[in-house]
Amino acid sequence: MQSDMSADATTAFALSRVSARFDDERDKSVLALRDITLSAAKGSFVSLSGPSGAGKSTLLRVLLGFMRARGGHIVRNFSRPGMVFQNYALFPWATALENVAFGLKMSGVERAARLKKAREKLAEVGLAHLEHHYPAELSGGQKQRVGLARALAIEPDLLILDEPFSNLDTITAEDLKHDLLKLWRQYGMTILMVNHLIPDSVELSDEVVLMSAHPGEVKKTITIELPRPRDPRAPDFYRYVDLLTEELKKLG
Amino acid sequence: MIRSVGHTPTRAWHHAHRRRAKHSALLLLTLLALALILGAAGYFAGVAWQALALGLWQSTYRLAGGYVIGLALGAGIALGIGWTKLASGLFPLFDLLQNVPSFAVLPIFVYFWGYSDFMIILFTATGVMWPILFAVLTAIKSAHEDLNDAATIFGARGWRRIGSYLAPLSFPAIITGSVVGLAIGWESVIGAEIIGGVGGIGGFINAAGSVGVTPALFAGILGILAVVFAANRLLWAPLLSDSARHYAE
Repeated sequence: MQSDMSADATTAFALSRVSARFDDERDKSVLALRDITLSAAKGSFVSLSGPSGAGKSTLLRVLLGFMRARGGHIVRNFSRPGMVFQNYALFPWATALENVAFGLKMSGVERAARLKKAREKLAEVGLAHLEHHYPAELSGGQKQRVGLARALAIEPDLLILDEPFSNLDTITAEDLKHDLLKLWRQYGMTILMVNHLIPDSVELSDEVVLMSAHPGEVKKTITIELPRPRDPRAPDFYRYVDLLTEELKKLG
Repeated sequence: MIRSVGHTPTRAWHHAHRRRAKHSALLLLTLLALALILGAAGYFAGVAWQALALGLWQSTYRLAGGYVIGLALGAGIALGIGWTKLASGLFPLFDLLQNVPSFAVLPIFVYFWGYSDFMIILFTATGVMWPILFAVLTAIKSAHEDLNDAATIFGARGWRRIGSYLAPLSFPAIITGSVVGLAIGWESVIGAEIIGGVGGIGGFINAAGSVGVTPALFAGILGILAVVFAANRLLWAPLLSDSARHYAE
């Protein structure tokens, strides 16, 4: 497996024929990803969809270098990845403000500067009034916003979202989606999102990558050619939802 | 002896723990109230209170010394290796060592340091460290993968990971490990004092029991209970409550 920075300035990342294995609970080696070829242009919004066991989260871990790939070639043209987790992954011992400032602290940003920036990011996600609250004192939607602010604080050039809406109620998820689109336009970072909800993928993404399971393989990449802002009630929107639903059904 | 006390504390666990703490506090208060009544009735009239207080002080500072060393060893080793591949390799060795009955190795300590304060402190430390070590190792090993990934992606890498991520992550485990470790520590201190016939509350109750002065024996035991109760109320209960407030899922 090779991994390097590509000379192609327009690509955020590219995986070429990447495979990955992990050991299951019985220490048996399982092929999680097979011959994954996938790329994203800088500043684009790409979604990964597929059934359980498609290795979507494994793919994120391989891309971030948390897990070793077995063969293939990875180009990483990003240096500051940020991530928002399905289960929030906030540090329970730290307040909302300290959570948001965590990445800045690790980068060596001086205390006053990092707290100032963390406050700005909390304000951007509408939680300025909750900076002294601990995660246990926040609702699911508030936790996810803190997670988003934590990722934005490090000014990521790649933002990874691992099923960010799946634990949220519909109204909270709609609000967060709206804010996410606004922040994406504002920051211009590349976004890679794992998502099960097809209408969300159509509403947010430039491209939707469909994966099959056991082992995870990329089966199809569908470009969403709808103008932005997208109207979820438009007939063309439904056509994409139908198309993706049918394709996913075929993948099981 | 002990055994693994590490786990992710849940709200239910903390509620149950608080309930247990409340019940034991109630029991201790009843015993102390009984002692006060007995004292008022003149039962403890012949007790050498000064010797008892000195003995309690000697044992408590030996325990405190042993706890500090045991905490540094247990938490230090677990935080140092818990996140590396070395932990899996060393776990069976730690398990073997912690299963060695502690009083079986007391003669080794006596051989090197005699019946000194230093010996009792070191001997106590070897009892205190295991529950803390296993609790912290288990907390690190059972941390949610997403939390580990979040720490890594936001820069808690290399040795900085210990201070900025693993130490706060392990805080509840350090508290629960300490509570169990101190219970063992009391056993070690009092046992070593009785075996060695040296000063301390162990020596006091041993002497009282040997000559059949039961009021002094009961006064000594009540003295230990009072110290344990004070430590629980003033130190461990607030720390457990803090841990419940911030860490419970």
